Amino acid sequence: MSSQKKRSSRIEPFRHRVETDPNFFEKAWRKLEDAIGEIYNHNASGLSFEELYRTAYNMVLHKHGPKLYDKLTENMKGHLQEMRTSIEAAQGGLFLEELQRKWDDHNKALQMIRDILMYMDRTFIPTNKKTGVFDLGLELWRDTIVRSAKIHGRLLDTLLDLIHRERMGEVINRSLMRSTTKMLMDLGSSVYQDDFERPFLEVSASFYSGESQRFIECCACGEYLKKAQQRLDEEAERVSQYMDAKTDEKITAVVVKEMLANHMQRLILMDNSGLVNMLVEDRFEDLTRMYSLFQRVHDGHSTIKSVMTSHVKETGRNMVTDPERLKDPVDFVQKLLNEKDKYDSIVTTSFSNDKSFQNALNSSFEYFINLNNRCPEFISLYVDDKLRKGMKEANEEAVETVLDKVMMLFRYLQEKDLFEKYYKQHLAKRLLSGKAASDDSERSMLVKLKTECGYQFTSKLEGMFTDLKTSQDTTQGFYAASSDLGDAPTISVQILTTGSWPTQPCSPCSLPPEILGVSEMFRGYYLGTHNGRRLTWQTNMGTADIKAVFGNGSKHELNVSTYQMCVLMLFNLVDCLTYRDIEQTTAIPAVDLKRCLQSLALVKGKNVLRKEPMSRDISDNDNFYVNDKFTSKLFKVKIGTVATQKESEPEKMETRQRVEEDRKPQIEAAIVRIMKSRRVLDHNSIVTEVTKQLQPRFMPNPVVIKKRIESLIEREFLERDKNDRKLYLYLA
Amino acid sequence: MAITGASEKVALQSLKASDWHLEGAFDVFYSQPQVAVTNFRRLEELYNRYKEPDAEMIMVEGISQLCEDLQVDPQDIVMLVISWHMKASTMCEFSHEEFIGGLQSIGVDSIEKLCEKLPALRAELKDDQKFREIYNFAFTWAKEKGQKSLSLETAIGMWQLLFAERHWPLIDYWCQFLQVRHNKAISRDTWSQLLEFVKTIDPQLTNYDEEGAWPYLIDEFVEYLIENGVVQHSK
Repeated sequence: MSSQKKRSSRIEPFRHRVETDPNFFEKAWRKLEDAIGEIYNHNASGLSFEELYRTAYNMVLHKHGPKLYDKLTENMKGHLQEMRTSIEAAQGGLFLEELQRKWDDHNKALQMIRDILMYMDRTFIPTNKKTGVFDLGLELWRDTIVRSAKIHGRLLDTLLDLIHRERMGEVINRSLMRSTTKMLMDLGSSVYQDDFERPFLEVSASFYSGESQRFIECCACGEYLKKAQQRLDEEAERVSQYMDAKTDEKITAVVVKEMLANHMQRLILMDNSGLVNMLVEDRFEDLTRMYSLFQRVHDGHSTIKSVMTSHVKETGRNMVTDPERLKDPVDFVQKLLNEKDKYDSIVTTSFSNDKSFQNALNSSFEYFINLNNRCPEFISLYVDDKLRKGMKEANEEAVETVLDKVMMLFRYLQEKDLFEKYYKQHLAKRLLSGKAASDDSERSMLVKLKTECGYQFTSKLEGMFTDLKTSQDTTQGFYAASSDLGDAPTISVQILTTGSWPTQPCSPCSLPPEILGVSEMFRGYYLGTHNGRRLTWQTNMGTADIKAVFGNGSKHELNVSTYQMCVLMLFNLVDCLTYRDIEQTTAIPAVDLKRCLQSLALVKGKNVLRKEPMSRDISDNDNFYVNDKFTSKLFKVKIGTVATQKESEPEKMETRQRVEEDRKPQIEAAIVRIMKSRRVLDHNSIVTEVTKQLQPRFMPNPVVIKKRIESLIEREFLERDKNDRKLYLYLA
Repeated sequence: MAITGASEKVALQSLKASDWHLEGAFDVFYSQPQVAVTNFRRLEELYNRYKEPDAEMIMVEGISQLCEDLQVDPQDIVMLVISWHMKASTMCEFSHEEFIGGLQSIGVDSIEKLCEKLPALRAELKDDQKFREIYNFAFTWAKEKGQKSLSLETAIGMWQLLFAERHWPLIDYWCQFLQVRHNKAISRDTWSQLLEFVKTIDPQLTNYDEEGAWPYLIDEFVEYLIENGVVQHSK
């Protein structure tokens, strides 16, 4: 630095006079080159980091960056090629180990080299957009070793072979696998994917394709699924042990596809072991496994659902159309309940309460229950059976549970109004014959029906209960108020409000004088307190308890129907009567009288009358006598009418007809309601709307709806639109 | 009225239209489109010829006399057309107003003129719009007074008459079907919808639509035709 004599004060940049040693680069480089060699030879401890760093630093400073970089590249390549030779030479199992070892060496060396060349890494490289030292090292490794001709294929094959062996049950060196795959990942995810993952998946696909083919030929469905589950678990574990986590999803998809998706139909529909078989035999474990496995398959669940649905519908249809089953209504319904229970537990246990499965079941049940139009009647009979005296479930809780289950079946019925009619009939019989076991249970059932269908459904039924209670009070009142009854028989009267009880036309028969007297007194008493009402004795519905003394001395108390009482009382006056006599005197309708006489004379153990001739049929001139030889072990003999039975054909026709008649005004009311609010509507929309409105009670027939519309047109509630004949207009 | 030969009603109309000025009324009258000039007095004479001796109506005898004078059969469909012009409320009866009004609207005032008009009247049945009006009119006209529906027998008779004019190949099957399956009176809706059916649906029923909101009787008729192999079941 020379200072000039007071000329201009100029500050000039500091010029470092450096020896421009023409060999500077060569010398410096040789130093580094040697050092690198030592590093690769595991001799790094003898080196001075500071010196090497400075050397590199100077080189870059003197603008030798590009040359340094190139030399470095070349040098590393050289070392790597050496390593490659050694790896290639490794035999068999040692191949991977050698590769691993060299990789470790290279990594360590690379770190040190990077540290030494840190200055270049931070200045020259970014400015010139070159790959950083470390990454350069990786790239070189990749290109020189991993992707070298001899190593590339061998590496992949080795890995795949080991995996294959492990799949076949051998134990392999997992940590070696782990470090190898990690190496690939470190080289870049595309290296991992291209050089390992993709081929791995391909090979796995063909492996599982083959395996699944073999299994499916020899395994039953349940067994196969177990194996599939095993393999899936295995693969997941394998990935977690020595592969990149992202591979998990992909290999799972492969296994699912090869083992499950490709064979789905065949598995589910397999004879003797597929889904249907599992359902029939309640194989919960298999079903659970199937459910969870096929969850992963596209359309898996919908296939299961549809197979299950058709199976349930088929079994159901057979159940309801089997003539054998139809003979015992109570058993019939019990079987339905059992079936429902079975499938409910399957859905809960194996299908994790999946709503869509529950819905599929519901629609299947709804389908087949409505195939048999006697189901409403039968279900009512079942409930009747449960609610009568002397049923098996002694405690109320059990009855509650049963009723709740019956309500589930009830919901499936499309003809709820038909059920209502039968329920009313059966309830009336239960109440009047005193057979209702538990008032609480009866009321509980009513509440359930009310919750389901609304208050109109049950208001009349509730009326029946009220009537009985009131009747009790009235009878008590009668006896309290009348003191002059003397020897008259004790009566208990039930007064039924006409609208609430099922109507049965009845022409009163001729009552015996003893009864007539007291009953007229009752009538007088009642009408005295209830002005303006009309009472009609329903002689087809009553019962009587009679004390009888027979010719052989035996005494019994007979429980009989009112008709039977009228007949028997006749024999107090006369020993022998012909059928015609009885018919004339009692005025009982022929059909009922014949049945009544049959039950009195022809039933073993209850034959209080004797008939000549002994034939089953009753003709006009048959003679009847008291059976003086009558005996029975019991003092009280019940000869009343039989328990509620399912209807005979003609009765069934009649009930159905009445229900159809009742439906007509309901349909009309619905049509008028809809048209009143919509004013103008086309035919199909009316049908849809009406069906929707009436569905809770029954499914209206579109033809009937059409007829009702026409009737309304004629009565000028509606008219057709002049321009579009499919439109109807409401006429206010 | 004496000068123009117009009816009382028309005279009043013309006077009203011209604000009760006589001159103006003539203008109004002559400017109205008229088919022909009818003489009011002659119409009265004609009415008196046919009316019942002790009632203000023309009844069966009067009508048969009229038919004789016209030389037509009482069952001839032209009588229906004439009744339609008269807006007669029931068959076999014409009231005074109906008779007079009808002949006026036809534009005749004598038997000869009416005879001349007969072909034209028959031709009206060929016009689609008029046929429909006459067809629908026939229902009210043919049914019993006070009844809502038309008895089956009468209905069949009317249909056969009407569909002789406007040919419908299935008419015989229709009548057969009704007698075999229905045997009850015909409602107005069914009557008018049948014409729609005849007009829109071809005899092979290829364009019959089950969802077409046809009256159920027609739906049953279609079923009947299919059952008996008259048409093919298109589904």
